[in-house]
Amino acid sequence: MLKSAFTVLAISAALPLSALAADSYTIDPSHTYPHFSISHLGFSTMQGRFDKTSGSITLDRAAKTGLVEAAIETTSISTGFAKRDEHLRGPDFFNAAEFPSISYKSTAVHFKGDVPASVDGNLTILGVSKPVTLKIDAFNCGINPMSKKDTCGAAASAQIKRSDFGVKYGLPAIGDDVKLVFEIEAIKN
Amino acid sequence: MHELLNHPAAQAGLIPFLAGLAAAELFQRARLSGLAIIAGFAATVYLASDFDFYPLNASRKIILSGLACAALALIIDVLRLRWVGPLLLLLGGATTIWTALRILQQQEPQLMLQWGAACAAYVAILIWGMDKLLDQEPVRAASAGTALGIGTGGAALVGASGLLGQFGLALGSAAAAHLLIQLYTNQTLQTGRVFTLPLAMIAGLTGCIAVLGAKLPWYALIVLAGIPLAARLVPIPGGSVRIQSLLLVPLTSVFAIAAIYLTWRVAGDVPF
Repeated sequence: MLKSAFTVLAISAALPLSALAADSYTIDPSHTYPHFSISHLGFSTMQGRFDKTSGSITLDRAAKTGLVEAAIETTSISTGFAKRDEHLRGPDFFNAAEFPSISYKSTAVHFKGDVPASVDGNLTILGVSKPVTLKIDAFNCGINPMSKKDTCGAAASAQIKRSDFGVKYGLPAIGDDVKLVFEIEAIKN
Repeated sequence: MHELLNHPAAQAGLIPFLAGLAAAELFQRARLSGLAIIAGFAATVYLASDFDFYPLNASRKIILSGLACAALALIIDVLRLRWVGPLLLLLGGATTIWTALRILQQQEPQLMLQWGAACAAYVAILIWGMDKLLDQEPVRAASAGTALGIGTGGAALVGASGLLGQFGLALGSAAAAHLLIQLYTNQTLQTGRVFTLPLAMIAGLTGCIAVLGAKLPWYALIVLAGIPLAARLVPIPGGSVRIQSLLLVPLTSVFAIAAIYLTWRVAGDVPF
């Protein structure tokens, strides 16, 4: 008996701390919306979002490491005007028939204390991958009072140039700078 | 000037027209006036897009295919290789599959086969139809090219792709420049495969990608495929090129307008 307990302790001590402390989450698509805003001919700033996002997040707050993977369906774009959405799905912009998803995969998660402050990663749009750092503006974890499940939520933002990803239609009249805001909720597995 | 060059109408209408006019005049003595088509198309690509081929998406494959076809057709015309017709149909079919491959791969196998075969057949029919016009008066190919370009471009524009619309309209403008020289001089101007092959290939691929990737209805392509046939079959009197043009242009334009109208009925007004 004593020997078995000792064996368990020895194995536990041999495991990396991160393997014991890492929490994995699945992105909740009903509370996760990537938003974007872009200048329209210099007159106004148009807002849009993608309605379908999936992915996973792993966080080890003790070891200050993590992994974020997200896939956004390009057909789910919504700007509040159906004709414009059709155009945005078409070959001029997101080319959804040829590139059905946008993806983001982290390479490093940076912490401030035990809270993630920014995420380095690669954003892939139209098959072009570029490094993009997401700044985490808000982060909170706890028990969801409705579902009683462990949940984490975050708001992250970044600024990109669409021309870097080959989305060049309408330049320079339609802005090149795109502000991205991700509102994310993820449920612990 | 900068503002003019950035205007989509100038990029797809005025500039390719002027480039086509210059190329047709410049290469007239070498009997390569048909280079007007690729000159007009290249001018539009330079202004509206770029010659960057990474990532190699369908629109960029259209550009690459058009340029490659023009180079191939130049060799065929210079070496007078008349027997290559059937090979060009196979080339058209294979290029279509290559261009649309990534879009087709997103579909169920049955749809992938249907759309792939239909698109390859459409491009091959256009190449065959335009190639057949080489045996007749050059004004027929120029009229058909003008209508095919404007019909494809107009329908693609309405079907929610500005860039594909510009590709087609550039072809129409360049072909119209070639036709204008014939109208002005009242003399025929050499077309050749350097005119018909890139025109048919670019128009065909543009139409297919607009169907697969945007909202161009497939039956608009059937109407567009009728343009070379109509230009070949309509009887025209010999002699005056001007009178021949005045008969051919309205007739072929009917098909172009019909294709644009059919697309508009499905897609509605242009969203930009």
